[in-house]
Amino acid sequence: MNESESGGLRAIELVIGYDAPLHDPFTFTIDPGSVLAIVGPSGCGKSTLLATIAGLTPALGGRVEIGSRDITTLPINERRIGMVFQEALLFPHLNVRDNVAYGPRRAGVAREEARAEADRLLTWVDLEGYGDRSIEHLSGGQAQRVSLARALAAKPDALCLDEPFSALDAPLRARLAEDVLAVIARARIPAIHVTHDPLEAQTMTHGTGGGYILSM
Amino acid sequence: MSHPRWLSWTWAVPALFLVAFLAIPLASLGREIINPGTASYLLDPLPWRVAGLAAGQALVSTALALAIGLPMANVLTRYRFRGRRWALALATVPFVLPTVVVALAFRALLGGSLGSGFAIVVLAHAYLNLAVVVRIVGARWITIDPRMELTARALGAGPWTAFRTVTLSALRPAIASAAAIVFVFSFTSLGVVLLIGDSSTRTLESLVLRQTSILLDFQAAAVSAAIQALVVGSVLVWAARQRALQRGGSARPMRLIRPRGRARWAVGAVAVAAALIVLAPVLALVWASLRSGSGWTLAWWSGLFGSNTIDAGSTRIGSPLSAMARSLTFALATGVVAAVVGGLAAVSVLTGRIGRAFAIATALPLGISAATLGLGTLLAYGRPPLDLRATGLLVPIAHALIAVPLVVAVATPTLRATDPRLVTVAANLGARPTRAWWTGYGPAMRTVMVAAGGLACAVSLGEFGAASFLARADGPTVPLVIARLLGRPGEASFGVAAALAVVLVIMTTTLVAAVDRGGRRT
Repeated sequence: MNESESGGLRAIELVIGYDAPLHDPFTFTIDPGSVLAIVGPSGCGKSTLLATIAGLTPALGGRVEIGSRDITTLPINERRIGMVFQEALLFPHLNVRDNVAYGPRRAGVAREEARAEADRLLTWVDLEGYGDRSIEHLSGGQAQRVSLARALAAKPDALCLDEPFSALDAPLRARLAEDVLAVIARARIPAIHVTHDPLEAQTMTHGTGGGYILSM
Repeated sequence: MSHPRWLSWTWAVPALFLVAFLAIPLASLGREIINPGTASYLLDPLPWRVAGLAAGQALVSTALALAIGLPMANVLTRYRFRGRRWALALATVPFVLPTVVVALAFRALLGGSLGSGFAIVVLAHAYLNLAVVVRIVGARWITIDPRMELTARALGAGPWTAFRTVTLSALRPAIASAAAIVFVFSFTSLGVVLLIGDSSTRTLESLVLRQTSILLDFQAAAVSAAIQALVVGSVLVWAARQRALQRGGSARPMRLIRPRGRARWAVGAVAVAAALIVLAPVLALVWASLRSGSGWTLAWWSGLFGSNTIDAGSTRIGSPLSAMARSLTFALATGVVAAVVGGLAAVSVLTGRIGRAFAIATALPLGISAATLGLGTLLAYGRPPLDLRATGLLVPIAHALIAVPLVVAVATPTLRATDPRLVTVAANLGARPTRAWWTGYGPAMRTVMVAAGGLACAVSLGEFGAASFLARADGPTVPLVIARLLGRPGEASFGVAAALAVVLVIMTTTLVAAVDRGGRRT
């Protein structure tokens, strides 16, 4: 678990889009432990901004930095940015523990050590004892918690959350939002949270020390 | 809901058909095997050696089909590009082409450089089975969220590791399933190995044919068929176990990916290569039907439509025109029998447990090779006291057996998708039970029967294995005439065979396209 401060995430004159710019250039800084909530209707480019920062889509211009590292042109697997999508996207052929241990294994951690780390993180997201379960037997909320634990297990320097609660019902959404905020604060990493729900954006930014809302 | 009373007896027709033309032939085959002399046949190294050769050939064919088919499945089923639907339809073409046509096309394309033997046989097998890989693996691939691999990348995996640990792992059951089917098809291949193979590519299927028609040793043939059935059964059981391991994936297909940057070039290259691979043998066939040593010619085509019998010394090959007429008659008969038997089997699925059991039983012929089916039918109905060969009935019956599982597979989902409450509504409005049932299911039945019958016709037109056992020497079907023509030297026989194969391709693909269009309209 990354409990040391990673440094802030900065976008400097960042231009997003596929063939042509989708928006004016973005410049912002997110401090460690803070959340930037990006809110806007479907198709406004908020997911493209997230994809550009995470390295899923190349930037058309500008820079992205984490701490003193310029990650603008790094491939996705070298950026150290955790992703959580609307769907949990758990690997169907792996059980809960091995899903969480996937990141540490790729970093060269021994199997047993990675599994022990996964169990620690599962406890952290209130899923103690779920390690051996097949992912087919998880509820929507549980699957999303596993997805969060999996993202954190890779010890990311920043977290990108792409509408992670929109597939869940309202009470579960509120509870999970609280848990995610606690995790971000404890990990002391910057986070970007994309949502189309202004209320959710407020919850996610008010819960942390210094949150920001970017309306698109 | 008020079903007409006769509906609960619809299983009886497919049941009778299966008993008469599957169970009794298999029992005749069994009788040949349960015999004091069988042990000596089992100790004979020949069938085992042939099984080993066939297994090696089938493994290489499977590896090749996967190596070419997997990139095709990836591009054709997951990416959005202009002409994608056309390319996907094109990828199905090899599977609907008759095996003798593919063998001839490969001889026209590569015969000059590769000759006959192992290399050209495995290439032809890989080609024939491309659609199996593209369809089975593609159907699974399109349910895997592409973001899953991105998630793995975000967790630190490089591109190859992410593909291997996430996508390939999720695809493994589908790949195993496709590989098993390709293996079985290649292991039991007959047309291809007879026409372009040599002694290194013999299969048990070709051994059974030789033991039956040349050596007249039915017991040895039955033992060879049993060894083949054992191998095929084991592979199919293994494939079923692999399929059971499949988990996850979305129930609905994912949105198609729009390729960008370098991916656009890669997608374009694979799509163009796929089109070239599929079209090259077909074009080579057309080319061969129009060329002679001295240049362009229409002689092979005029030879085809002249009604004179082609004479090859002591072997009279028969008139191509009368073979076409015969093949069409057999195809029509097959279409009617398969549509009625398969349609009734599909209807019985809607009723009780017995109906469902018999509908499943109609899938049995799928796992039984053409030679086994042909030999069994020959043993039961092709020799005194009951010799039906002279009646010309055996070929369409064997073809109908092969086609019935396809008819059931096409008809059942459509009938299941029909809302059964339509029957209740019709009954409430005063319709008698049969009328009410027909009001509900009639429209679906009509379209499905025509489509399924057309598919059965296409199967019959190109079928080679069973026909080579059951057709009379003086009454060959088109694929048999092609095989006979290829069996004798000279450019004239090759040219006429190519022209005949082109006609067969046109007839088969037109039928399948018509069925496909009809099916899509419903």
